[in-house]
Amino acid sequence: MAELKRESGVSKALNAAWVRPFLFLLFIVVVWDLTIRLFQIPAYQIPAPGDVVAVLWTDWPELLRQAWPTTYATICGFLLSAVFGIPVAMLIAGSKTVESYVYPLLVFSQSVPKIAIAPLFVVWFGFGIIPKVISAFLLGFFPVVVSAVQGFKSVDPDMVDLARAMQGSRFRVFCAVNLPHAMPAIFSGLKVSITLAVVGAVVGEFVGSNSGIGYVLQRSIGTFDLPTMFAALVILALLGVVLFWVVDRIERLVIPWHVSQRDDIIFAS
Amino acid sequence: MIRTIAAISAALIWTALSVLPASAADKVVLMLNWYVYGEHAPFYYGKAKGIYAAEGIDLEIQEGRGSAATTQAVAAKTANFGYVDVPTMMRAAVKGAPITATGVLLQTSPMSAMGFVEKNIKKPEDIKGKTVAITPADSMTQIWPLFLKKTGLKESDFQTVAGDGQTKLNAVINGQADLLLGYVMDQSMKIKDATGKDVNAIKFADYGINMVCSGIVANTEFVKANADLVKRFMSATTKAVEAAEKDAKGAAQSILDANPKGGKIETLTQGFELTIPLYRTPETKNKRPFQVTDQNMTDTVNLMVEYGGLDAKAKDNPKAFYTNDYLPQGGS
Repeated sequence: MAELKRESGVSKALNAAWVRPFLFLLFIVVVWDLTIRLFQIPAYQIPAPGDVVAVLWTDWPELLRQAWPTTYATICGFLLSAVFGIPVAMLIAGSKTVESYVYPLLVFSQSVPKIAIAPLFVVWFGFGIIPKVISAFLLGFFPVVVSAVQGFKSVDPDMVDLARAMQGSRFRVFCAVNLPHAMPAIFSGLKVSITLAVVGAVVGEFVGSNSGIGYVLQRSIGTFDLPTMFAALVILALLGVVLFWVVDRIERLVIPWHVSQRDDIIFAS
Repeated sequence: MIRTIAAISAALIWTALSVLPASAADKVVLMLNWYVYGEHAPFYYGKAKGIYAAEGIDLEIQEGRGSAATTQAVAAKTANFGYVDVPTMMRAAVKGAPITATGVLLQTSPMSAMGFVEKNIKKPEDIKGKTVAITPADSMTQIWPLFLKKTGLKESDFQTVAGDGQTKLNAVINGQADLLLGYVMDQSMKIKDATGKDVNAIKFADYGINMVCSGIVANTEFVKANADLVKRFMSATTKAVEAAEKDAKGAAQSILDANPKGGKIETLTQGFELTIPLYRTPETKNKRPFQVTDQNMTDTVNLMVEYGGLDAKAKDNPKAFYTNDYLPQGGS
């Protein structure tokens, strides 16, 4: 007879998904603090973790307020990447002609450093949210396309043939076979893309903005306010984590059947 | 076979090493405050004319990415000397950075609000209703509120757009902003290069903002350990500035010789010529460059504490931020 092993309270807590990374983070912070004390590193080079936490504690309303424009630009840019990236990937995967024309240029464009052309976006589109959204879109576009192309190309042709042999129209076959098969790869691309979209939004803010975490970063660098600068970096990292988690949850809803979504069940006899 | 090659290479290297002079000149790295523009001419001129070499210095000039970044590099000893906005350096020094100014060159501020001549913005009142491009927390934006106070303007009188250095330039060139905050000899010349049109600058110094600007800074431990080198460097730099003052075009040309993409000769010359009057105040009219008065420095510190967000404890000892001890005396 199979029985579920009873876990003790502590090991249950340790197995909770968020506890382990949190403990590791705590470990890193302790090492950081010890390093500063041991090597007498001055405050203007690296801030002590205590100072960063103090800034986060006292300034969190302001930081939260500044985080909204960045989040908004990130999400808009990311949605654009998804909305444009997946159809482009379908075209590339579906047609060798399109692939031979478009794909190499796409790779070429990826190597252009976005921070160098970001000022041009401000020239073309003015100051405001648009340059930030475009910057986030450009950074997030490539991973979506590459993963989606991979996903669409890895569909089993025998399955497609079988469905078509059963008188499935091209569209219905696509919805029932091609798309679900490509979903896992698409989602992995989306997860990479959302973290890059955060970077893109901040690059856009550096170049031309009156608000956002990028603006806070720029301001704190100019006044040698390292604790605030690191606090802003922490907020950005948290933003990336939260958005990644959201995409992960959506993945769970959309492709619950995929092998990567199965939980481990421990049996002991 | 391999052993033969190794032996021959070793012999060649040994010969090469033995041919080198026994005592080479001191290698010195000077990091500028920004990408090169007219204000930096004396350093390139001094290097080209052998003024630094005559003092036994092999000078390498690196372009910087803002006074704040260069200040940090010098405090961390990544560069031996920096050429930065001294009030920005004070901000770092008061937070404990081991850095001091060994010579203050621009004793009058070049900070200004500038825009195309054709926009006819000549007096502070003309700024009302216009759009001003700033970079958050750079040296000019920190003093901007004081300029507004001195000229009776309010933040609500005009629009502000924010961006980095390149964005500010693009904004004015493309008409997205009417004015930008910059140094009178830097952005104005870049805009003229790009559009061929003249730029008018409303100087902060004309409205009662008396503070110093660029100077040579160095790590305090480096200065103590290399007092002789610092003296030689400041002596060479003083001579280089004096020589460049007499030959503005030649000085500008030396920038282009070292850095062919550094700008155009006409605007680099014009930029440098705009810098020269800033070297002295009425009190130091007849003195050599870098001989800043204690009063000027104290005024600057007081201004920075009141309006620049500098920590109030800076007022206790303004002399901690600079030293004239390494400057050449008299006419040497």
